[in-house]
Amino acid sequence: MDRQHMRSPLARAMGLGSAKKGVEHWWAERVSAVALIPLTLWFVASIIAQTGSDHATFITWLRTPVATIMMVLLLVALFHHTALGLQVVIEDYRHAGAKFAALVIMRLSCFGLATAGIIATLHIAFGG
Amino acid sequence: MMPTSPAKRPRPLSPNIQNYRPQLTSVLSIANRISGVLLSLAAVVLVIWLLAAAAGPEAYAVVQGAFASWLGQVVLFGCTFAFFLHLCGGIRHLVWDMGYGYELGSIYASGWTVVAGSVVLTVLAWIASLVLGG
Amino acid sequence: MIIGSSDQVPRTTLLKRFPIPRNLGVAPESRIGRGKTWPAPAGAVRVKAFEIYRYDPDTDDSPRLDTFEVDLDDCGPMVLDALIWIKNNVDSTLAFRRSCREGICGSCAMTMDGTNWLACTRFISDLATPATVYPLANMRIIKDLVPDLTHVFAQYAMIEPWLQTRTPEPERERPQSPEERSRLDGYYECILCFCCTSGCPSHWWNGDRFLGPAALLQAYRWLADSRDEATGERLDILEDPFRLYRCHTILNCTRTCPKGLNPGKAIAEIKKMVLERRT
Repeated sequence: MDRQHMRSPLARAMGLGSAKKGVEHWWAERVSAVALIPLTLWFVASIIAQTGSDHATFITWLRTPVATIMMVLLLVALFHHTALGLQVVIEDYRHAGAKFAALVIMRLSCFGLATAGIIATLHIAFGG
Repeated sequence: MMPTSPAKRPRPLSPNIQNYRPQLTSVLSIANRISGVLLSLAAVVLVIWLLAAAAGPEAYAVVQGAFASWLGQVVLFGCTFAFFLHLCGGIRHLVWDMGYGYELGSIYASGWTVVAGSVVLTVLAWIASLVLGG
Repeated sequence: MIIGSSDQVPRTTLLKRFPIPRNLGVAPESRIGRGKTWPAPAGAVRVKAFEIYRYDPDTDDSPRLDTFEVDLDDCGPMVLDALIWIKNNVDSTLAFRRSCREGICGSCAMTMDGTNWLACTRFISDLATPATVYPLANMRIIKDLVPDLTHVFAQYAMIEPWLQTRTPEPERERPQSPEERSRLDGYYECILCFCCTSGCPSHWWNGDRFLGPAALLQAYRWLADSRDEATGERLDILEDPFRLYRCHTILNCTRTCPKGLNPGKAIAEIKKMVLERRT
């Protein structure tokens, strides 16, 4: 280790101490993953079935209650899982200042995009 | 306490990723991460697509046109592969999280299954799309 | 599964290194230059070239790669035998740790052909030609193949690897059933060679805060010990986004353990315990 560091190796390893939490993030990532398995498979199957359809056909399909509900659930689960996953990626590769800015921007973007997607879906579902 | 001495140069760090052999374990893990990041970009595209559909037929046609271009098709193919890779890899992770599949033989068997499964599912999805879409 | 010999480790090699520049992200003091070549003695028939990482802290030179041609008929079958042959016959300044020469002390852990293993249990014939011998990955190097293990040992000390009890000491032994004892199998055998921790990409990027598979496997050894009475406190020490949860189940650790142990599984069991205590 650096000769300049006077801190003992044990103190350096202990750092700021244990946060005593972390399982909530891990569990939420797994729960959202389980939710995403049926939701994404439904989504991929649906857009395959919708290949070549025009705007009107697509809107009619998305207006059905099942499609609307599934799409909203998909957006919620997808952006929750994305936010959790990207948080881990940012924490892995960025440390100190840039990390916090990146985390804030990422989290707010996910929230904003999820909201935009849900509003768009509801707009299609309930609009004229 | 050692006597003060002129600052010594730091000890070198032995190479890590520059030298360590890529193995199925690490390669599939980074592939799962890369596919995940790509899918988050695809999620942005999904929202744009929904917003275009909500805006009306003209906006929708623009986005559909972009998807239909050759670049759009390549990107969609890549997204499909990333999706199935992340899906199969994710299921493998969920099995691990339950505590199963850690023997070295199982790790390698499930790993190759993920690779083969992702390729097969991607091809099947695109065949289905071509058949249904005409 | 306990690996008896390195033959049981899967060996499909598609790529020898990740396709990135050799000096990507490498600090100036760690860049590796070309070194000397030491030819085989005259009359040697079976010769194998070994490219060995060298670093001398007493000079100003940067680390380099020396090539040694080893007479295989004159040394034993293991990589450690080749290193000892080089030290005895060619260059006595070659520095490496070794002791038991039978895969139990953990001293001679190093990166051979890009994978971590013990030099004394790795057959020379398992390596490519030329064979590459580097010190354990991602370690500060004291000299040649000798890594500075201070930090990883500090992380091991941090998990408090001793029995902790509150009930008063019994007159004789602390009883433990055979079934309870069997729950330690596969964890107590760790020789602290740190092959696993050195091969973990998460420890490469976050090794200052992430404990790594070796320390976590030992932490689970104490969590699984029925005689221990500090399970809650141990889990408190471990439950941290960095100390435990930088593990993303990459599983390089299980792949590389020279004793056939399973740190990945141990960490999964710890995560299950952490989840169970709050559900």
